[in-house]
Amino acid sequence: MMNLDTAWQTALDRVKTWARVNSPWLLHYNTGSCNGCDIEILATLTPRFDLERFGVKLQGSPRHADILVCTGPVTLQSRDRLLRIYEQMPEPKFVAAIGSCAISGGVFQGCYNIVGHIDEVIPVDVYVPGCPPRPEAIADGIIKLLHSLQVAEAGRGTE
Amino acid sequence: MDVEKDLMIAESLLEIHAPSFNHPEPHRLDVEIETGDLLDGARVLVNSGWGYLSAVTGLDLGVEAGEFEVLYHFCAREAVTTLRVRVPRVGGVVPSLFQVIPSAGFYERELAEMFGITVEGAPDSSRLFLPDAWPEGVYPLRKDYEISDSGN
Amino acid sequence: MPGGAAVLPPTPGILISDGESNMHDANETFIIPIGPQHPALKEPGHFQFSVDGEVVTGASVRLGYVHRGIEKATEARNWVQNLYLLERICGICSHIHAMAYCLGVERLAGVEVPPRAQAIRVLTAELERVHSHLLWLGVAAHEAGFDTLFMYSWRDRETVMDALENLSGNRVHYSVNVLGGVKYDVDEPRAQAIFAVVDFLEERTRHYLNVVSSDAMFVQRTRGIGVTSKEQSLRLGEIGPTARAAGVPRDVRVEAPYAAYGAYPVEIILETAGDLEARFIVRINELFESYRLIRAILGDLPEGPLTVQRMPRKIPAGETISRVEAPRGELFYFIKSNGTDRPERIKVRTPTLCNLASVVALAPGHHLADIPMLLVGVDPCFSCNDRGVILDYPDGEHDHWTWDKLRQFAIDHYRNR
Repeated sequence: MMNLDTAWQTALDRVKTWARVNSPWLLHYNTGSCNGCDIEILATLTPRFDLERFGVKLQGSPRHADILVCTGPVTLQSRDRLLRIYEQMPEPKFVAAIGSCAISGGVFQGCYNIVGHIDEVIPVDVYVPGCPPRPEAIADGIIKLLHSLQVAEAGRGTE
Repeated sequence: MDVEKDLMIAESLLEIHAPSFNHPEPHRLDVEIETGDLLDGARVLVNSGWGYLSAVTGLDLGVEAGEFEVLYHFCAREAVTTLRVRVPRVGGVVPSLFQVIPSAGFYERELAEMFGITVEGAPDSSRLFLPDAWPEGVYPLRKDYEISDSGN
Repeated sequence: MPGGAAVLPPTPGILISDGESNMHDANETFIIPIGPQHPALKEPGHFQFSVDGEVVTGASVRLGYVHRGIEKATEARNWVQNLYLLERICGICSHIHAMAYCLGVERLAGVEVPPRAQAIRVLTAELERVHSHLLWLGVAAHEAGFDTLFMYSWRDRETVMDALENLSGNRVHYSVNVLGGVKYDVDEPRAQAIFAVVDFLEERTRHYLNVVSSDAMFVQRTRGIGVTSKEQSLRLGEIGPTARAAGVPRDVRVEAPYAAYGAYPVEIILETAGDLEARFIVRINELFESYRLIRAILGDLPEGPLTVQRMPRKIPAGETISRVEAPRGELFYFIKSNGTDRPERIKVRTPTLCNLASVVALAPGHHLADIPMLLVGVDPCFSCNDRGVILDYPDGEHDHWTWDKLRQFAIDHYRNR
């Protein structure tokens, strides 16, 4: 069984390296979740886990976001807004689906008011399972995405 | 005991409007009431300061039974008094309690959109929970609206 | 354009989302197809306020963004599956939902849950209340622009998350309940760990109480704001800390004790001012009361089994009502069984629905800058960070703001006073 502390330290070192190059801005959107995943996402940015010190920032505008961090089973009412937010994000853009509901609908599969998978509405780049996933897991997912972003940046030339 | 006293007070307040009482559990009073007497029943509880409207439950008694039942749950400390009205599945109407109980508005909107029961005199009958794109005339909590089993 | 498309103003809450005055964006028009069923589609905005100058004259709410159709789903799942579904109505107060459900089903089944299990349920419920109130304190601080307090309270909250994880293996959705009892036991090391958490948090909470009642900027945003008299509170049917802040002694743990609250009685926490400050004071004092309860339970945990011997798969037909005190107020469950292994009907009335009704009724007459704190004062479902706000003006014009913009407007308004 992996030692959580070691894994966490390794992950943090990778973020530090990456963040010197770029400072990813996250946009958080809840498509109808129970808030479990959302509070763990917020916890990732508070002092104990503190992704913020590496420049990972949560902010409010799709226009400035690199990564859309998405929770919830996509209720019908939130579906269109999700699509519009995604469309407003500039390239390169990435989507992280956080939690079982975002991936498959979770316990809400079969409910009448949900779409059930975020990837039925927008493309998803990283899936972080859990109900909810713990902050370390969420951070790990974001870090994997950051590497994709770095690769994309390197291959882009002038912007 | 406080709860017995509270229930007795509720009974005496509602006697005039209710043909039948029932105690399904020791702390509960069920009162079957006609829709025509519902507003008066609610008013008499509110005016005497007997508890508060805590929830409104809609029940579909089934396509064969042809009726819905609407339960108005009033809570006073430990005691719960439920006013129960029956309405037909087609064209069912209940009066709005909004005049007497301002917070009833949300509960009534939910009842209407989930069952298709008309709440007469409601100040706002727009949808509360169902999305704008939800088709008219489709009421999810009715028994004949079917959903799939959990993801199997 | 075929299909009934029309030219409409831009979607609210999306374009004007970075707080700048985007006159260009506000005048852009879009072609948005309108479906046949809704010729006059109202743009979704969680809140709609009519404003005259900067005073709110009317308020309404549009929910549905988190509506999943859970009540219907319970009818397609068995009693055990429903435990895990209903827990997930809310990630902040998951345990209290499960507890309300279990208490009701156990009553229908006619089983008597052993006292040790009921005590552990209450212990978990109080730990949950602590995490929820600390979470709320941080969110409320953030609304007022006090991000330092937000960070501190969420950092401190991690200790109670640790305690819950220690007890159950999960930080959120602890699933302590099973039908007929609990899954997890509290042994001596766990008890000691929880005592340590409570000791630490008690000291921190004294600090928060001090900040909330003496910091000038905070007091300016809360003292005398959103005042509700006891009579008004009763008429609005308020519940939970909001009602208690107006002097209404309403607390299900006290008035209708359930689970083990008979053995560990709760002292009701009341204030009389009925303003926002009172709502803060009540919740902080409830933290102290929860610490006391947690210590009392751990110091006197009854011996015995954790579950009943046997829990039937099919629950006898009948109806029951289960009322419990969630951190936000009374949670109401109506459960009807038809004698099978699936429920006939489960009705859940969350405290937030009740509290929202009171905020909507209270808003008119208040300055727009007080709306964020008024809402946070009733501790609503917080994660709607994409809440759109529609402002209607007397001349028929309207604006679309994001909640972020409204929050910043309020912070700036008070800073410039």
